[in-house]
Amino acid sequence: MFRLALADIWHEKVLFFCSALGCAAVLAPLIVLFGLRQGVVAGLRAELLEDPRAREVVSVVNRTLEPALFARLGADPRIAFLVPRTRALSATIVLENPARQGSGQRVELLPTAPGDPLLPGYGAIDPDALILSITAAQRLGLRAGDPVLASVARSRGVQREILTLSMRVGGIAPIAAATRDAAFATVPVLLLTEDFLDGTVGPEARPMSETEARQRPFAGFRLYAARLEDVPALDRDLRLAGIEVASRAEAVAGLLRLDHNLALLFAAIAGAGGVGYLVSLGVGLWAQVERKRRDLALLSLLGLKRRALLGLPLIQAAAVALAGAALAFIVAAGVAGVLNRAFAGSVTGDRPVCLLTPAMGFAAAAVTLVGALVASVLAGLRAGAVAPAEGLAEG
Amino acid sequence: MTSLLSLRGVTKAYRGDAAPFALEVPTFDLAAGEALALAGPSGSGKSTLLMMLALAAPPDAGAFTFDGADIALLWRKGRRDALAELRARRIGVVPQTGGLLPYLTVAGNIALTQRIAGREDAARIRALAEDLGIAPQLSKHPAALSVGQRQRVSIARALAHRPALVLADEPTASVHPELADAVLALLKRECAAAGAALLVATHDPDRAAAAGYPILRCTTHAPGADGIARSVFARLPLAEAA
Repeated sequence: MFRLALADIWHEKVLFFCSALGCAAVLAPLIVLFGLRQGVVAGLRAELLEDPRAREVVSVVNRTLEPALFARLGADPRIAFLVPRTRALSATIVLENPARQGSGQRVELLPTAPGDPLLPGYGAIDPDALILSITAAQRLGLRAGDPVLASVARSRGVQREILTLSMRVGGIAPIAAATRDAAFATVPVLLLTEDFLDGTVGPEARPMSETEARQRPFAGFRLYAARLEDVPALDRDLRLAGIEVASRAEAVAGLLRLDHNLALLFAAIAGAGGVGYLVSLGVGLWAQVERKRRDLALLSLLGLKRRALLGLPLIQAAAVALAGAALAFIVAAGVAGVLNRAFAGSVTGDRPVCLLTPAMGFAAAAVTLVGALVASVLAGLRAGAVAPAEGLAEG
Repeated sequence: MTSLLSLRGVTKAYRGDAAPFALEVPTFDLAAGEALALAGPSGSGKSTLLMMLALAAPPDAGAFTFDGADIALLWRKGRRDALAELRARRIGVVPQTGGLLPYLTVAGNIALTQRIAGREDAARIRALAEDLGIAPQLSKHPAALSVGQRQRVSIARALAHRPALVLADEPTASVHPELADAVLALLKRECAAAGAALLVATHDPDRAAAAGYPILRCTTHAPGADGIARSVFARLPLAEAA
């Protein structure tokens, strides 16, 4: 049956080429449109994703947030990373390079934990380690592995007390993590600083364990959504829960709206074009069945079964669809190349404005194939219904 | 002689060229390997009978067996695939103008019945082509053949899958007289060589008789009170004939 269907196609190769060309004429613009949507949205999305802060949601007002809230947030599948923070006023510390006496520098103390998106490549940070921002490391003349003295001072009446911790530089944070003078430390270090400033511990106190620390209430948190799409929902949910937060929810929502609108636009154009294409393919195949009625009747007379007759237009439709999809993808790839050169660097940075992948080609072929088969079913039924007697009468 | 085809009281109404016709076959037997020409004027129902015998059209009534199968029952039960299977394996057909598929080569056309029957045999195709004098044309397409060559390809196709019965519908209608004699002779010779029974519908019984075919003439009756003309094909049962 395959050989028969393909021999027929080959015999009428000009007609077949015209059909495939007609299919490609509808498909190619749709593939380009889809590539544009993918390219523009993927470009904007990548820009956002490259900045780890795009998925960041931070609480901005000091509250007393109980451990139960952190447990709940930690179990939320939309949240990929969560670290509590102490009050902002308590989160500064003076760092000093022991090799440079008098080089004390006040820096912002930021909490971190394993898997912090701001510190990619760092696993669990030792309790006595600090990850310094580039500016802080430069000002203090410190490198990874160097010892560093961290101190915080308080006044009790006329007496001035200082808590000093001998620590080491665990690494230097990427520029995107902190542009100011800052040091990332484990949560117990931040809690110790806060407790010392609150007067609840003395200068001789040392950081508690991470487990103990997590039993305490905190003033706020910094979290990262698992996906960009989760940022607006998390922002909204936390605000509804009465927690004031800052995030790039609006930018993300704008991107998602653009994606959604482009998807709608694509669906409308693809729908109209696709339906037109399917109708034209179906009608073309129907006409072909009518034209080949004598041949089909003869095949039926010679003993070809109904399902085999039904399969002939289906195989031919599949061949047209696959050839059309391949042709369309080649044309679309050419157009995408022109567009990418024309808009290079102006719309989505260095990324292609029209993004076509082999997977898209296969998907386009699969969708076209399914559509063509659906469109050809009626023609197939028509072919299957051709009476064998016509083969003798018209033979 | 064993009966390959047997019809009893078969009728089929159809619309002829002018008035409505009814085809009646009170008795009709054909033995395995036998050759017979069905003769009758144009529109007398020869092709309709051939369609029924080719299992391509159902009888309205009557008993019809072919190769041991109850064909009337298969039609009543709507078992079209079983009928197609019988057509594919046991029947060869030679339509009036050859009925070749234009997109297949001569070899492809001849092999078609073998492929459908699931009995591919390239050597038989070659042998038939040699026998029928179309071996040089095997790789050509039907459009490149003469009418006579097309008829011979059609005969080869009808015999390629070793059927029990070959049906030819006016195979000489579109060829010139000398070629008509040759076609009839070829058909008879090849079917005899293959052991296949042969039924040829013709409007020229003298030519068929000259080619050595026994003739079965139809009896036609003018429209009666019901306005229906009748064509009757009757042949003595084999036992009685013997």
